[in-house]
Amino acid sequence: MTDDKDVLRDVWFGRIPTCFTLYQDEITEREAEPYYLLLPRISYLTLVTDKVKKHFQKVMRQEEVSEIWFEYEGTPLKWHYPIGLLFDLHASNIALPWSITVHFKNFPEKDLLHCHSKDVIEAHFMACIKEADALKHKSQVINEMQKKDHKQLWMGLQNDKFEQFWAINRKLMEYPPEDNGFRYIPFRIYQATTERPFIQKLFRPIASGGQLHTLGDLLKDVCPSAITPEDGEQKTQVMIHGIEPMLETPIQWLSEHMSYPDNFLHISIIPRPTD
Amino acid sequence: VSCSMAGEEDLFLEEKRFKQYCEDFVKHSQQIGDGWEWRTSKDLGDGYLSKTHFQVRNRHIPPDLKEKNNDNTEQMLFAHIEEPLDDSQAAGVCSTEEVVRYEYHVLYSSSYQVPVLYFRACFLDGRPLTLDEIWGSVHASYQDRLQEGPWDTITQQEHPILGQPFFVLHPCRTNEFISAVLRGSQEHHRRTNYIILWLSTVGPVVGLNLPLSYAKLAPEQSTDADL
Repeated sequence: MTDDKDVLRDVWFGRIPTCFTLYQDEITEREAEPYYLLLPRISYLTLVTDKVKKHFQKVMRQEEVSEIWFEYEGTPLKWHYPIGLLFDLHASNIALPWSITVHFKNFPEKDLLHCHSKDVIEAHFMACIKEADALKHKSQVINEMQKKDHKQLWMGLQNDKFEQFWAINRKLMEYPPEDNGFRYIPFRIYQATTERPFIQKLFRPIASGGQLHTLGDLLKDVCPSAITPEDGEQKTQVMIHGIEPMLETPIQWLSEHMSYPDNFLHISIIPRPTD
Repeated sequence: VSCSMAGEEDLFLEEKRFKQYCEDFVKHSQQIGDGWEWRTSKDLGDGYLSKTHFQVRNRHIPPDLKEKNNDNTEQMLFAHIEEPLDDSQAAGVCSTEEVVRYEYHVLYSSSYQVPVLYFRACFLDGRPLTLDEIWGSVHASYQDRLQEGPWDTITQQEHPILGQPFFVLHPCRTNEFISAVLRGSQEHHRRTNYIILWLSTVGPVVGLNLPLSYAKLAPEQSTDADL
């Protein structure tokens, strides 16, 4: 029987084989070959694509290059969402590799946040961690940590160092012995079909009677359309890290073991493929 | 505002209270023609305060910041409403005028249980202003206050209901200063509209002014005795 800790490793080391192609209207001095890369599910596009940028900039003139941005089948990809979330939400049932188009012009100001440096990614990542701890522990654990501990979380993510990251993150996954879980669960539910980017609400992992709330309980409360109507067939999939966890799974366990490094459960509701 | 625990705890703003304060706020805004409205989202029924206004700006270089203000927080809360908010006087600089559309939204953060201010600005052709360009129209003394104030940073973030990029005043220290002032008003048995208090403090820093008449907003006829 797999140890719970193995799940943490499986989540951390998940990869998506990706093919990056330069947008055809970009002006190049010679032909641009596609670039292949295994993307970490738990990281962010602008954090792991330095090599992609360098590869395409080699065939372009300097003046044609401004801020890089990525698109999949016409949809600009939000770099501030974890890569695994973007894939599950937009491309989970396609044939691999994932084909992403690279742009250096016409940045879509209405759709994407700017990402001028790694500092912006770090600030976003840390803001998510802080918000997650506000929900789990009223910010007590994150505020008690020193600046160097915060830095270690970021460096662990940036350098793909599982042990370094979890040495600190385990503290964010603890709770007082008298409680049976966190105060509220940090989660966001995404559906590509809605204007609203995600649903986020206060949700307690433990019911007033002491029972553990499940993933199904969460969905029923916050996004009931995702749950099968009793008569019809299930039209949607509920996906986290590329898998469909059983709806009976306790949400507290999911929060501890299948959160992204930002300490949020990012859950995708996608159409079930009809093959 | 309800206290989570007696005495020293920060005073958190529950969502229902937030909506009530916003409702009172919008009513007053309508009376004085200040342009605020409440927008409800179609899918989940949550919502936010919204105001759009147009401003004619001069293209100019922002003035150098003078020596730091020594105003303490209290003065900032009560004195600033009277200060006019106009473009900085950059004497002798050649300028062309252009129209800028400013949008301000007040949303509720359930994670931090405080209101959060989102804002953005664009020229009429749709080109968005950068944060530096927005700063250019903020009164110089408020640019100083950004360093001193009870807010950590302004960052670009995704609007949680519209999904578009906005600038956001980070909320995690809102409670520190709001609690201090609210406790003071409670001691004098004065009912206070949290939104007016909060927005009158953070608004001017990002170019948003509240007319003085909001301070005269009639206290809510509250039947629950949680003060």
